[in-house]
Amino acid sequence: MGRRWHTVRVVRLLLVVIVATGLASLVGTSLGARNTAFDLAGNPVDPLKSGGGKIVVLVFIRTDCPVANRYAPRIQKLSAEHAAKAAFWLVYPSKAESAEMIRKHEREYGYKIPALRDPQHVLVKESQVEITPEVAVFSTDRRLVYHGRIDNLYEDVGRTRSVATTHELEDAISAALGGKSLEAGATHGVGCYISDLE
Amino acid sequence: MRHASETLSGFFIVLALASVGVAARRATTATRKSARKLAAAEAQVTFNRDIAPLVFRNCAPCHHPGEAGPFPLLTYADVKTHGRQIAFVTQKRIMPPWLPEPGELKFADELRLSDEEIRRIQSWVDQGEIEGHPADLPRPPAFTTGWQLGKPDVIVRAAKPYLLLPGGSDSYWNFVFRTPVDRSQWLRAIEIRPGDKRLVHHANVLVDREESGRRLEKEPGAGFAGMELVIESEVFDPDSHFLFWKPGSPPYVEPDGMALRLDKNTDLVLNTHFQPSGKPELIQPTLGLYFTAKPGTRHPILLQLDNDRMLDIPPGERNFLVSDDFTLPVDASVLAIYPHAHYLGRDLLAFATLPNGTKKTLIHIGNWDLNWQAVYRYEQPVDLPVGTTISMRFTYDNSAENIRNPNQPPKRVVAGNRASDEMAHLWLQVLPHESGDATIDPRVQIQEALALHHLQNNPEDFEAHYNLAALFEMKGELSGAVLQFTEAVRIRPDDPIANNALGAVLLAGGQIDGAIPHLNAALKGRPDYFDAHYNLGNALAAQGDFPGALTQFQAAVHLHPQDANAQANLGSALAETGNLKEARLHFERALEIDPKNELARENLEQLNRDSHDHPN
Repeated sequence: MGRRWHTVRVVRLLLVVIVATGLASLVGTSLGARNTAFDLAGNPVDPLKSGGGKIVVLVFIRTDCPVANRYAPRIQKLSAEHAAKAAFWLVYPSKAESAEMIRKHEREYGYKIPALRDPQHVLVKESQVEITPEVAVFSTDRRLVYHGRIDNLYEDVGRTRSVATTHELEDAISAALGGKSLEAGATHGVGCYISDLE
Repeated sequence: MRHASETLSGFFIVLALASVGVAARRATTATRKSARKLAAAEAQVTFNRDIAPLVFRNCAPCHHPGEAGPFPLLTYADVKTHGRQIAFVTQKRIMPPWLPEPGELKFADELRLSDEEIRRIQSWVDQGEIEGHPADLPRPPAFTTGWQLGKPDVIVRAAKPYLLLPGGSDSYWNFVFRTPVDRSQWLRAIEIRPGDKRLVHHANVLVDREESGRRLEKEPGAGFAGMELVIESEVFDPDSHFLFWKPGSPPYVEPDGMALRLDKNTDLVLNTHFQPSGKPELIQPTLGLYFTAKPGTRHPILLQLDNDRMLDIPPGERNFLVSDDFTLPVDASVLAIYPHAHYLGRDLLAFATLPNGTKKTLIHIGNWDLNWQAVYRYEQPVDLPVGTTISMRFTYDNSAENIRNPNQPPKRVVAGNRASDEMAHLWLQVLPHESGDATIDPRVQIQEALALHHLQNNPEDFEAHYNLAALFEMKGELSGAVLQFTEAVRIRPDDPIANNALGAVLLAGGQIDGAIPHLNAALKGRPDYFDAHYNLGNALAAQGDFPGALTQFQAAVHLHPQDANAQANLGSALAETGNLKEARLHFERALEIDPKNELARENLEQLNRDSHDHPN
């Protein structure tokens, strides 16, 4: 019930964004206002249909989540290490975060990974993530191998280990590259709830 | 003669303006009202009526632009976009950050949600985060931007910014501020602006009267790394104030009569704890100093309980107890308390046992978290009669299950100043009651009792021997001072401060031959040690070695050209070695700096008489 109302509101918000960001987004949105994520120019992008031969890692973040931000150097480093075999994408699920804000965020935190907006939470659902930061790892045949935290640095918001002692994302990447499945295919992240975003 | 010491780890200013009390009372009324409404209707929780008041009071002080909170919590939309997260962190009491358990004694700035308030937030989120009637929304809090207490009398800025790297572990950095006061002033408040507040967990200002901080800088203004500091202080000038900053707290204004003395040439060292943010950050703190014409007339003292020698925690040990008990030698009021441990600390308890057997819990933190450490001020001073025993009971968890354990797998951990070492310190700010006998300073009684107490815990306690010696010296008991300084030098044979102090008391007692080796040892450890040059100059002059004395006084004047006594003594040494022309210049210089300098005046008169009798 309430959901429907929100959907209407979302479309209106998107229209506003179109006006602000120009023609490119108009094309993008008109093609598929539903069921897709967008690149920062507003074009629809499905990261799971690209990067053939590579595994895909989606990293869900938002610009104002301090936990997600603290992982920026780690995520950038992992993506560089695995660039040959893994396609990394940053996914921003907040409707309120514009392409402009995301570009600024990427610059500030030194991200060189392509960024997507997922205002309709298409990738969120496909990846079964609930928190930023969480990651989803898809095998070369686009099976969801793992979703959840990057490592166990955070026990809770505000309760951190001095060093992480488990490294789920790295384990998942290795498993996916080796064509194996992972014992624990899902964990819970610590950070900001995606469902809080409306 | 100058010298001194005292080891301190950090002290701070805390929050709590009069308005906080008012705000808290108002909020309590609101809470009761809404609780009644809830009971009546078993009803809907709305943001405007039920949630906004508690968010405005407990969250918004940090969660507004420019403050420490990573996002604002000022509107319905702000709160809704973090609703589940807020429900989670409040239920786990991660937010608002407030470590002490509720108890008989109240703290001035308590930031603790009641169980009912926490349930209310859960219900609001469960019911779909209803906004409610606009008329129910209280006025959002207004925050002062910029200096919280208005324009400071003096603003000092760190000479160089600190570069915080994007990743890695926490950093501890110290900035040394040169305070631009040209005479002693009374400080009623310091506003600490630590730079980007999102990055700073807490910050402490230490009053450094002996340039201890500067000596640790690689170059002037560069600052230096370190979690805990050792600051020297003058013979008897015990630390008296907590100068502390934590997120969301307004600067603390000292009550009338409790201002802190700030002298010319005093440095303020800002000790900070940063957490990386994910991007590189440049941090350049500023301090705002607020003076008052009203001098300090009531003299509090910071009293430290500790038992570092007991800290030797085997790996895997989950329940390691460190205790200390100190009995007050005078009546006193406890104004504030600051318990301190590092990452293995788990349960921190302090209590007082009155002479009649009554026990009072001073503070109990059941789930210690270094990241949210704070100074806690009592709403009302806690009066403790003479003979009250203050007890510290800290337990430590050195198992792998302690997620904050810096060693994985766990290792043996002992006391130390690094983040991977441990500490068991309990600081109290106490105001000793006047004894009625003006010749007895109750602070001296406390200091002496403390030094003896620390020596009982650990006969090899360098600072305790040193401080006891300084107290003997102050009371004119030179033989006791010599004995205790000798012990300090035995424990740390190369320590420049202890060697200088021992040399100085020997010199004062006329034991010049005994003094000289220690003054030389002090200069070996610290070639630019003004006091040691000055004292050695005096010692050599007393032996009739004026060329030797001249060298020492030249070095002293080179280090502190504004020191009238050094100038006058240099003049004397020059005169003794026949250089009357230059001697005159230094006597005159001394009198320019201090027109009342007797040594310079007498010598200059002598010189004038001589030149009159024997004109060149």
